[in-house]
Amino acid sequence: MDDKLRPAYPVMKDETFILLRDFIYEHSGIYFADTKKGQLEARLMMRLRASNLPDYDKYYYMLKYDPQAARELRALFDSVTTNETSFYRSPPQIQAFQEKVLPELITRREKKGERMLRLWSAGCSTGEEPYTLGIVVKEVLKNALPDWNMRIVASDISEKALKSAKTASYSEYSLRGVPPEIKQRYFNAHDGMYQMNEDVSRLVELQYLNLSDTKRVQLMKGFDVIFCRNVLIYFDDAARKRFVSQLYDSLNHGGYLFIGHSESLHNISRAFKLVHFPGALGYKKE
Amino acid sequence: MKASVLERIRNIEDLPTLPSVAIEVLGLAHSPDVSIQRIAECIHQDPPLAAKVLKLANSVFYRRGDRKVETLHHAIIFLGLAEIINIATTVSVFSALAPGKRSEASIRESFWDHSVATGLIARHLDKKLGMKSLGREFVAGLLHDIGKIILDQHFHAEFMEAYRVSIEQDRAMFETEMEFCGTNHMELGYFIVQKWNLPEYLADVILYHHQPSHATHQAMAALVSVADLLAKAVTLPCGGDRMSFILSDQESWHVLKDRGYAVDDLDMERITFEMESIGEQVRSYISTVMEPTSPEYVHG
Repeated sequence: MDDKLRPAYPVMKDETFILLRDFIYEHSGIYFADTKKGQLEARLMMRLRASNLPDYDKYYYMLKYDPQAARELRALFDSVTTNETSFYRSPPQIQAFQEKVLPELITRREKKGERMLRLWSAGCSTGEEPYTLGIVVKEVLKNALPDWNMRIVASDISEKALKSAKTASYSEYSLRGVPPEIKQRYFNAHDGMYQMNEDVSRLVELQYLNLSDTKRVQLMKGFDVIFCRNVLIYFDDAARKRFVSQLYDSLNHGGYLFIGHSESLHNISRAFKLVHFPGALGYKKE
Repeated sequence: MKASVLERIRNIEDLPTLPSVAIEVLGLAHSPDVSIQRIAECIHQDPPLAAKVLKLANSVFYRRGDRKVETLHHAIIFLGLAEIINIATTVSVFSALAPGKRSEASIRESFWDHSVATGLIARHLDKKLGMKSLGREFVAGLLHDIGKIILDQHFHAEFMEAYRVSIEQDRAMFETEMEFCGTNHMELGYFIVQKWNLPEYLADVILYHHQPSHATHQAMAALVSVADLLAKAVTLPCGGDRMSFILSDQESWHVLKDRGYAVDDLDMERITFEMESIGEQVRSYISTVMEPTSPEYVHG
């Protein structure tokens, strides 16, 4: 090919995409759909440069056959997970929680006369996820909320993230997925920032927790729903299995676990029942 | 089905009919001494049908390798008789029910999207489970809800009511159909494909796709039932059918398991992720079957 016509950056061939996709899925449980090829290409471009490799095929072979690849795997996973978080992230999951899971749990508890629910946002980062859960809980229970003993535990390993979560003040960008009426109802805008209303933020209990600290995680018990999205990727295979089995123990019977939208527990645990919600998957402890 | 409803259906004069050539082709498929030559000749009597069959045989859905299939004769050799019958059935049913004018009532539009998605998912699962249904699972998936089209055409007001109540009260369509129309889409679908003389497995799967353990072709009815659910989960229908389910608790799942299929080993998460991008394939399939065929296909 004429050098002038050669693209300035390598192009990922469809076959290579499939090899890399399968490799990443097998090692992390994260699935890149066909529609996400561009995204994967862009993210891996950095890894290609860092590893000084000319194209994606070479990169794939390095991952697969180079004994030193374990370190690269870590860097690869860091680059394929977006660390960003926002309110109402992965709407079908939030919708499943709002329309299916929460009403089911509420009905069950009311029948037993126990008006109590425990939610856990494991790996809550700067608080967008637990506050979203808080908003949804308020939307579903409405005026009945004060009659309920409701607690949303939000944990993270980053003190800095927790500190930011505590201020409960967010930029327009964090709120981009929030429906306008919700934005109006639950936030106060000032100086270009949005302050979460007190009646939601006080439902959320922020705490420092290292999820690989098995002794500490063991103390987390009695939850009805756990959101642990895009966290599993930070564990190696053995740790992931151990951690997911701990999450199972943390749940009450009839409780639900949500992991990241494109994450899978298939190779990690068979203890849960896989639940199909419209456009989202969840895991139930029977 | 109530006698009065059956009477009403029998008296409908403009029930959709299949093209006569299609009926002949499907009849031939049952005969023991059928030859490739004979089937090809038969399809050729209906040039638009022949063109569509060739077009579909060359589409991404059926094409194998790079070689373009130039004649029906070749198509039958390459794809096998079973697939040609599948294709002829599909093309004929589409033409009989004239789907597609995309401006029509939204239920029609989502009906075909859902049907094609179910067919494609059934085909995918068939491969994963090694069931070797020879493409019949695709046709069965495609036609499982065909009764809804007849309900929509001939019991329109009642069917719309059934549809509304099903969404409002979160109840199964076949229940509300029974309440408002006196019959349901399984019975009507069974009735019409029998009237059309389509292969018997289709009538069976259509009648029992909500109760696969009652079917004669249990495994296929169960497969279509699973595909039906998955199609609903991944295609995000607007309004209605926003159901959630646990696959491993379904009757269909147990039927497949009892018949020795390794459903518990399926990576359902991955299959679900794979199927999330099925919309594009669905649109491509519908346009392949629907769009007028270019003259180049008519010869050969």
